[in-house]
Amino acid sequence: MENKNKDGQVIVVTSGKGGVGKTTTVANVASALAKMGHRVVVIDLDIGLKKLDLILGLENRVIYDIIQVIEGECTLKQALVKDKRFPELYMLPAAQTRNKEDITPEQVVALCAQLRPDFDYIFIDCPAGIEQGFRNAIAAADQALVVTNPEVSAVRDADRIIGMLESAAFTDIKLVVNRLRNEMVRQGDMLSVDDLLEHLCIDLVGIVPEDKGILVSTNKGEPVVLNERSQAAIAFNNIARRLSGEDIEFLSFDDESFWRRLTRGLFSSR
Amino acid sequence: MLDLIKRIFSGESSSPRDQANSRLRLVLTHDRLGSSAQLMETLKEEILEVIARHVDIEGNPEVRLITEGKHAALDINIPIKGR
Ligand SMILES: Nc1ncnc2c1ncn2[C@@H]1O[C@H](COP(=O)(O)OP(=O)(O)OP(=O)(O)O)[C@@H](O)[C@H]1O
Ligand SMILES: [Mg+2]
Repeated sequence: MENKNKDGQVIVVTSGKGGVGKTTTVANVASALAKMGHRVVVIDLDIGLKKLDLILGLENRVIYDIIQVIEGECTLKQALVKDKRFPELYMLPAAQTRNKEDITPEQVVALCAQLRPDFDYIFIDCPAGIEQGFRNAIAAADQALVVTNPEVSAVRDADRIIGMLESAAFTDIKLVVNRLRNEMVRQGDMLSVDDLLEHLCIDLVGIVPEDKGILVSTNKGEPVVLNERSQAAIAFNNIARRLSGEDIEFLSFDDESFWRRLTRGLFSSR
Repeated sequence: MLDLIKRIFSGESSSPRDQANSRLRLVLTHDRLGSSAQLMETLKEEILEVIARHVDIEGNPEVRLITEGKHAALDINIPIKGR
């Protein structure tokens, strides 16, 4: 690829609140970038509660895990699981029977330093919460993707996480809005993307609609980006393209009528 | 006022989305301030100390953080004794 000789970017995907779609985002954006020909590795740092291997459908191929690499039981190369569906996508599995405290931020930094020369993108799947697991996950990252849902508690946690990232001197923090339902926004039952951006004041990198296809693909162990027709697949592909520097317009997945927009414009005070 | 007209025209009172927005506005301001409550106290004490060295303070001095979206400002209100 174009940046074969440049060190890879480390991108942490985080959220504060659990279950908002971090692992789904990592699996799909990483797959999309790999499909575009980039060299990608995903690191599962949700130690003790791993899910990335399942979502990518690689659970049967796992032999070693990240803790074994750190404790010197195997080499980093031995622990990397190759995803055969893509030219260059690898996963470094989490350990299921250990704790988040069994690994330190310094060790994560050292591991990423080893991976940087060989990859264009290094994704870190961050566990929920703001404790040690979070500190480990952000330690080596150059940029952060904050995933949230259009829902008050998820937005509150996202705001907290953004504050913590800013205190940790992150300057590149981008928002992924997941599970958006436009029909609900239109009916006034759900927060809109603009509402979220107004509250959180960070740049947007993707809008992923609620999509049944996600559950189907999770069941099959196939990233949804392999299924071109799904709306979520388009959304994750667009995030990948934006990360790689393309300027892609945001699809609103919206069919709000011209009339409604017009009347809103007429009656809004601003 | 315009909001009211808008509501009458669209036939809705405060929608769940509006409620979510106003609740978030409150809770986020509070959260963001919460982490800096101690800092505000320290700032207030030290600012008052410096001012008190030169002029007489009276009444209830205030040092507050005002936030609006990404922007923040210190609002310092220190009444001093007139002649
Ligand atoms: N856009 C979507 N549409 C429908 N379902 C979704 C969507 N995104 C995620 N999900 C579902 O939400 C659940 C949680 O997703 P995921 O595991 O990616 O979240 P997470 O943030 O990684 O969770 P945890 O904090 O537990 O690690 C999964 O069952 C997933 O299938
Ligand atoms: Mg997860």
